[in-house]
Amino acid sequence: MDESYDVVVIGAGFGGPVAARKCALAGLKTLLLERSARPGEKVISGLTIPFYGFLFGPDFIRDGNPPIERPVDGIVNYIVKDIERGDIEVDDSLRIPRPLSPVLAFGYNAYCRPFCQWEADRAVEAGVELRTSVTVTELYREDSRVAGVITEDGKVIKARAVIDAEGSQALLAVKAGVRKKYPPDVISLADVYDYRMDKDRVDRILGFSNRFVWAWDEQRLAPPLGFGNGLMVWPYRESIHFMQDQCLKMERGGKAPNLARLFREYHRNITSKLPWWRDEIAPHAELRAHMWDSFEIYVGLDGELRKMPMCANGLLIIGDAAGLESTELCDGVPAAWFSAELAAETAIEAIFGGDVSERKLRKYQMRVESHPLIRWSISGTNRYDLRYAQKSHDIRLLRKCVHNGWGVGAFTHASTPLLLTALRAIQENPMVITSWLRMFPRYFRNWLFESFDPLSDDRPEVFRCDAYKAPKSTPGESTAAGGVPEHSSVVTEALAGPGTGGSAGVETLGTEEPSSVVATPGDPLKEARESRSFSSNEVINDAPLRGWETQTGSQISGGTLLRMAQKGLACLDGLVFMLGPALSGTAKLMEPLARLANPVATAALPVVEVILKGWRRMEPLLEPITERITRLLVESR
Amino acid sequence: MERSTGGVVWWGETGEFIQVNNTHCDGCGDCLRVCLGGCFALREGKAVVINLESCMECAACWYACEKGAVLYGLPKGGTGFATEYG
Ligand SMILES: Cc1cc2nc3c(=O)[nH]c(=O)nc-3n(C[C@H](O)[C@H](O)[C@H](O)COP(=O)(O)OP(=O)(O)OC[C@H]3O[C@@H](n4cnc5c(N)ncnc54)[C@H](O)[C@@H]3O)c2cc1C
Ligand code: SF4
Ligand code: SF4
Repeated sequence: MDESYDVVVIGAGFGGPVAARKCALAGLKTLLLERSARPGEKVISGLTIPFYGFLFGPDFIRDGNPPIERPVDGIVNYIVKDIERGDIEVDDSLRIPRPLSPVLAFGYNAYCRPFCQWEADRAVEAGVELRTSVTVTELYREDSRVAGVITEDGKVIKARAVIDAEGSQALLAVKAGVRKKYPPDVISLADVYDYRMDKDRVDRILGFSNRFVWAWDEQRLAPPLGFGNGLMVWPYRESIHFMQDQCLKMERGGKAPNLARLFREYHRNITSKLPWWRDEIAPHAELRAHMWDSFEIYVGLDGELRKMPMCANGLLIIGDAAGLESTELCDGVPAAWFSAELAAETAIEAIFGGDVSERKLRKYQMRVESHPLIRWSISGTNRYDLRYAQKSHDIRLLRKCVHNGWGVGAFTHASTPLLLTALRAIQENPMVITSWLRMFPRYFRNWLFESFDPLSDDRPEVFRCDAYKAPKSTPGESTAAGGVPEHSSVVTEALAGPGTGGSAGVETLGTEEPSSVVATPGDPLKEARESRSFSSNEVINDAPLRGWETQTGSQISGGTLLRMAQKGLACLDGLVFMLGPALSGTAKLMEPLARLANPVATAALPVVEVILKGWRRMEPLLEPITERITRLLVESR
Repeated sequence: MERSTGGVVWWGETGEFIQVNNTHCDGCGDCLRVCLGGCFALREGKAVVINLESCMECAACWYACEKGAVLYGLPKGGTGFATEYG
């Protein structure tokens, strides 16, 4: 007899586990199928997951301890006018200044493999049955209804509803005739390199900022603007990611460029000509993986493609498979999370209501289309503007487009959707406010101490991923010798330049201790952490271990601070709880006003920019405060 | 400066998950040009899959071929490429 479930979810990437978990928690018998042997090992990405994905996405991620590689304070854009003469403009307006960052982060960089595994673990905890190494070959139909899936061995697994989270190719949905294959001009091919590099070097050179490079095509530095993302560099904990991408064809029916040759050329040029890469990174970076994947970032720019259905009788399609990869910031994870939750909600309602027909499930598509952030992210036109600017060779226009797409100018079109989403979240549950406040410092502390939730992993080890398995100790830089290192100069150096390292804290926002902080003596993880090499964070790791507070005679210890912060937050919890109905009501009343956010941001932008510029100039002066706050945050361990 | 330490691993018997339909292929070479794995070659005016051992399952060949000649599928469960660093 065929197996039978309430819900079958296809794909344990970013979206699938979220949908599966929600269904299981509602009491539905849920199966999650993944074709790779371990979740996430076939997902290739950038990857910065922006703050709004975490704030407005699934609560178990926001309130949990997922494995992240580095908090990111924003983006530093390099606009290359003439590489031979070193004529390069910098736009770092979308960078949260210290001491707010990196505790208050623009987003979090992560590797897909541990992150997807972490999500899948949470789904299993909630009662989902996860099966890996199973490729779904077809959707199973009964009459016109999708009633399950067929796996590669020909087995039918029946389901009352199928949630398709198979990622951008959407092969199953295409095969079933629900969606159409995308044309090559909306598909971009990303060429990704992962380099290992010492953590202190990453801290010093890239700090907490992503680097984007924009250049005229003739310079052969980055793929043509508008058809690609320019070139992007992401700092991770002890590694960096380098990505260039370009769409497969400039126009439908045209000839495909020789991407293999072009990418090699771009890569050679950028690594040998761009000064900071050539001098600071190239001699010290060790290539450890070269990967590529295609993704659908231009789908949103095509009105016809955007209209394709996201559901059918018995079927809900989420994330990349539904074409939700953003044309605006090219981030697909938030939309995958949002749509996963909306799909699960709809499936739960439909199954309990006993009607999973397309008519009922269409509610999902309506919900997705009216989600302010999804709507904004898949319909923005910045990419067209950039393409136009590149063709025009007008530096002023290019500067403006980069600023609007990847600088603070983005708030002129993102403010309303962000505010609307926040107000809706508050209406649903006002307690989310304190959850937001807790998230940033917890994530930052988790990053400092590498105290993420441990990952289950049942396949024999073939890779060595330092951060999530037993970490290595760094000989020669161990703290065992006893002397206090000369750290202040390192901190100063790290905080001096724009976008360089250093760490800060918002001192009033302590959170509950992550469980792994209570390390037993001889705990290998703790030992490894203590002996890890830090530069700007050297202080951070050493301080609590050496009675740092007695050296500086600090009056208030981190422990006290933590207790105060916890009390403060608990009071706030109470207050929000009491004021709950009033807060929801106010949020509802404010919704129409949210529409003014974009025009207000546009009007206020010149002033904001001046303030931000001044603030960034002051960063070196603010450094003692930054350092002090960080130490308190560290002591609070 | 660069040394590949093999952060990408290919597993086992994938099966022939990508094929070319000879009758539809006109030998335009688009699939060759977009494949970063060097998985295709042209023989007698038709594309052929020469090697799937460096295929990253990116589907660029499938998208690029507008004649519908690239028959694209997925490798058997648990096989094909895998990486910790994606
Ligand atoms: C190079 C690159 C850079 C990116 N950078 C960013 C970024 O910086 N920020 C950001 O937010 N987003 C980024 N994205 C987008 C992001 O990766 C995707 O939007 C996100 O992964 C989508 O999640 P998903 O769940 O829809 O699909 P995926 O995460 O792709 O998951 C699909 C899963 O389904 C499995 N699967 C597929 N078919 C089958 C089948 N037939 N049977 C069983 N299992 C199957 C796959 O193995 C996979 O695990 C980037 C993407 C790329 C390619
Ligand atoms: S792209 Fe299609 S038609 Fe052109 S050579 Fe390849 S398989 Fe043949
Ligand atoms: S899927 Fe990608 S790597 Fe594999 S053959 Fe096609 S283009 Fe080449």
